[in-house]
Amino acid sequence: MAPSSEPLARHIRRAVTLVNSVADEAGDEEITPSEIAEAIRDAAEAGADAPEKVRRYLLEALDAVSDGMPADYVAMSLYAALGALREA
Amino acid sequence: MSAGQFEVVALEGGARLVTAPMLDRASASLVLMFSVGSRYEDERLGGISHFVEHLFFKGTQRRATAKEIAEAIEGVGGSINASTDKEVTSYWTRVPRDHVELAVDVLFDIVTNSQLAPDDIDRERLVILEELKMYQDLPQDYVHSLFEEVMWPAHPLGRDIGGSLKSVKEIKREDLTAYIKGHYLLPNLVVSVSGGVGEAQARGLVESRLGLPANPNGAPYQPAPPGPSKPNLRLLKKDTEQAHICIGVPAISYLDEDRYALDIVNAILGEGMSSRLFLEIRERRGLAYDVHSFTSKHRDSGYFAVYAGVDPGKALEACEAIIAELRRIADEEVPLTELAKAREFTKGRLRLGLESTNAMASWLGQQALLTGRIRTEAEVVAEVDAIDPARASKVAKRVLTQPLQLAVIGPFDSDSAFRTLIEA
Repeated sequence: MAPSSEPLARHIRRAVTLVNSVADEAGDEEITPSEIAEAIRDAAEAGADAPEKVRRYLLEALDAVSDGMPADYVAMSLYAALGALREA
Repeated sequence: MSAGQFEVVALEGGARLVTAPMLDRASASLVLMFSVGSRYEDERLGGISHFVEHLFFKGTQRRATAKEIAEAIEGVGGSINASTDKEVTSYWTRVPRDHVELAVDVLFDIVTNSQLAPDDIDRERLVILEELKMYQDLPQDYVHSLFEEVMWPAHPLGRDIGGSLKSVKEIKREDLTAYIKGHYLLPNLVVSVSGGVGEAQARGLVESRLGLPANPNGAPYQPAPPGPSKPNLRLLKKDTEQAHICIGVPAISYLDEDRYALDIVNAILGEGMSSRLFLEIRERRGLAYDVHSFTSKHRDSGYFAVYAGVDPGKALEACEAIIAELRRIADEEVPLTELAKAREFTKGRLRLGLESTNAMASWLGQQALLTGRIRTEAEVVAEVDAIDPARASKVAKRVLTQPLQLAVIGPFDSDSAFRTLIEA
């Protein structure tokens, strides 16, 4: 992964962590869909110049949150974005 | 039919149907279990069983996207998922009982009509590669994979279910279609239905959807090698705050007559907060943050192991203390009171674990697929109750005196002190 991609990767990882803690029902505080959407939006903003695939997968993740899809499903889109970023 | 009873019927093409009506339940659970998993893979195709499982959720001819598949089940308040293991791949769904037809339709749709679109394959490959990297960054989990490499070197049982970064990168669409064709066959399938649905209804729904080929023989797997005849060790140096230790011995298959006795020995040694390892290693000596034991059983092999997460400075002492507990239970007969407690623990956990319809469907289906014979909860409870101190001692001696195998992840430059311990 290019060093310039690292800030975007950090944003995506943060979103993954939030989503996984919902999927695992871990943590003391309940994480809301709005918080997850906010983290993904932050990633999308940081990735405005990222490759098309990365942006597409982030938007898919955001749509999945809006549609109330299960956390696992959102996580898959975020992993795909992270993988596409690593490949770029 | 009362709770806890079941029926098994042979279906056309060689598939089998297990039904366990629990008519007081609001839910119905359906599991499709295939006798395929990572031990069926050669090294080049490492991870392909898991890859296929992911791809089946990406879209079918009737439900074109992953979202449509998820929404079909989520839309009625149900859940759907799958898992890949070494010998079994399972697809399951749990829905309100009046939507059982939908559940049957969706699960059979994904395993028979998957599109395997090139874009979906590329995307899912990225997802799996990220999952593998994340897993390798979790030493408390990854040490278990290292331990299996030590147990079964250069054998499919010793490889990670997800495959390697190299193999997953190189799996092609043709590999996936050939693998599905060779394994997703009716004789390799057990359908298990449990909950608020009767046997006749379940049979009617399933029989009309058996669209898989009925070829008699799927590709076989490599038999397990004999257990290691000497101690072996794998150390992965990593700057972790804790040392992660997995220490164990070759053990027995799930077909072995001693399997429940070994489960009792496992409960005594390392399950729960009143187990010997927890009390001695964590509570009395303060050597570990987490310590527990477990068994892994396959058709022709298995192991017994202990995991411990410890301060690196205490890793050797913790290993020594674990080995001492393994030897103690092999050398000294377990007191009856301690054995009785372990029996109650084991029976209680079994009963609680089978309360839900999806747990019951999975438990029965897995037995039908792997052993060809289903034991009821009452039969297992009776077998557990029949284990006395002499029987527990016999299996402890048989298993826990085997050569020690060890995997360690932590900030260590040399493995020599660990090697000395397991060779002593």
